[in-house]
Amino acid sequence: MNKYLFHIQVPIYMNIEDIEQELGVMQLSDSFFPTGMFATSNGLEFLFTEKKIHCVKDIADIIKTNIIQQIGPSDCIALANAFDSANNNDYEEIINIDAIVFATKAIKEIRDASVRSGIQLVKCVSEFVSGDEVLNKYKESITKNKAHGVFPVAFAICCNGLKIKKEKCMMMMMYGFTVSIVGAALRLGLIQHFEAQKIIHMTKPIISQTIKENSKKSLSEMWQFAPQTDIIQMSHEKMDSKMFIT
Amino acid sequence: MIHIPRIGIGGPVGSGKSMLIERIVPMLAEKGYSVSIISNDVISKEDADRMRVNLATKRGLLPENLVIGLATGGCPHTAVREDPSMNLAVIEEMESKHSELDLIIIESGGDNIMTTFSPILADYFIYIIDVAGGDKYPRKGGLGIESCDLLVINKIDLANIVGADLGVMKRDAKKIRKEKPFEFINCKTDEGVLKVTEHIVHDVLFDSRPKSVISQKV
Repeated sequence: MNKYLFHIQVPIYMNIEDIEQELGVMQLSDSFFPTGMFATSNGLEFLFTEKKIHCVKDIADIIKTNIIQQIGPSDCIALANAFDSANNNDYEEIINIDAIVFATKAIKEIRDASVRSGIQLVKCVSEFVSGDEVLNKYKESITKNKAHGVFPVAFAICCNGLKIKKEKCMMMMMYGFTVSIVGAALRLGLIQHFEAQKIIHMTKPIISQTIKENSKKSLSEMWQFAPQTDIIQMSHEKMDSKMFIT
Repeated sequence: MIHIPRIGIGGPVGSGKSMLIERIVPMLAEKGYSVSIISNDVISKEDADRMRVNLATKRGLLPENLVIGLATGGCPHTAVREDPSMNLAVIEEMESKHSELDLIIIESGGDNIMTTFSPILADYFIYIIDVAGGDKYPRKGGLGIESCDLLVINKIDLANIVGADLGVMKRDAKKIRKEKPFEFINCKTDEGVLKVTEHIVHDVLFDSRPKSVISQKV
């Protein structure tokens, strides 16, 4: 036997902390995690009812537009800044970001869903993450109506509390958004389960590019411009018969 | 934040959930109780709209904005059990704005096999079936029939027409539910509905006086 064999060390790529962090990523990204987002379609239901959407490409295009024109330059930048503020214990700035995100969500259904999901997320994570000062303060501010609890800010604070890295946090939010639209398409009968996974796979380069472009931008660089999407989401509000909240 | 007592009413589509609510709310209102309704409608706002018109607009038994329809993304079971986030969010908003309420009723469609309400969402669970499903329904069991606090069997006037033996249903319900109660009702004539209302007043509201009466005395 080679005498050097005993000196060979198996490389350890993940330490215990890394593993716990990854488990946190899996927990918050899992559709089993209760935020109510399974009931959102972000306007897809309206397009389905109006027969304006037909195939995998149509759905992938909608997701792409939403991420590039709305979520990436607005929610993602807000999330990244809220994450940094949480890390720096800059609580005043978190409240400021919370107010800005709330003000930029012009569509009532989308705004209500963001706030309701955000608040429930904070309440749920507070049940098992104790001693995180920012998380506790944010929860208290929501209870006292001093913060709205919008989803991107709530998500940043919860991820920070679970020691998840900022870029992963952005990735998880966009993944969650993608899954909510794909899930809605699946339940509406627009696509089959293999096609659903294909769309998620097709969206990966868009998500990674969006993270690269927006993770270091300041709050003043936030923008969104998707007027057609806005109209679609507003039209969903007026629908008489619907399965989805948004 | 105050906690307003909540009951969940679940049952298959067409079993009479909304009709039961339309019958018990006037009875509760007559006793002075203020009630709000959240309808987890699978597809349309029809049930919520009808309850709003019948109970709020026409009869003024509760404000129109306290009958709320909530979409569930086609997953009513999930919305009241595994992930009741959206229901909880709406209830918490209601609790912060309407502390005068005595009771919140949460309605959700769902089959007998899987329907249960999260205990965080509902303090009391009524499961409703009807005789048209056949007299085998109670003995088939399932989470809804077995775990609910009160099983309600509706449309007893149709029993003869559909060939359902109420005696068999009674025997099987007694056996499968052991000591837990069940009631036979007919929502069209109100037969048995008062008993359901009494269960709510006794088991959920603990025979307490309505908040409006208490505040008047203070």
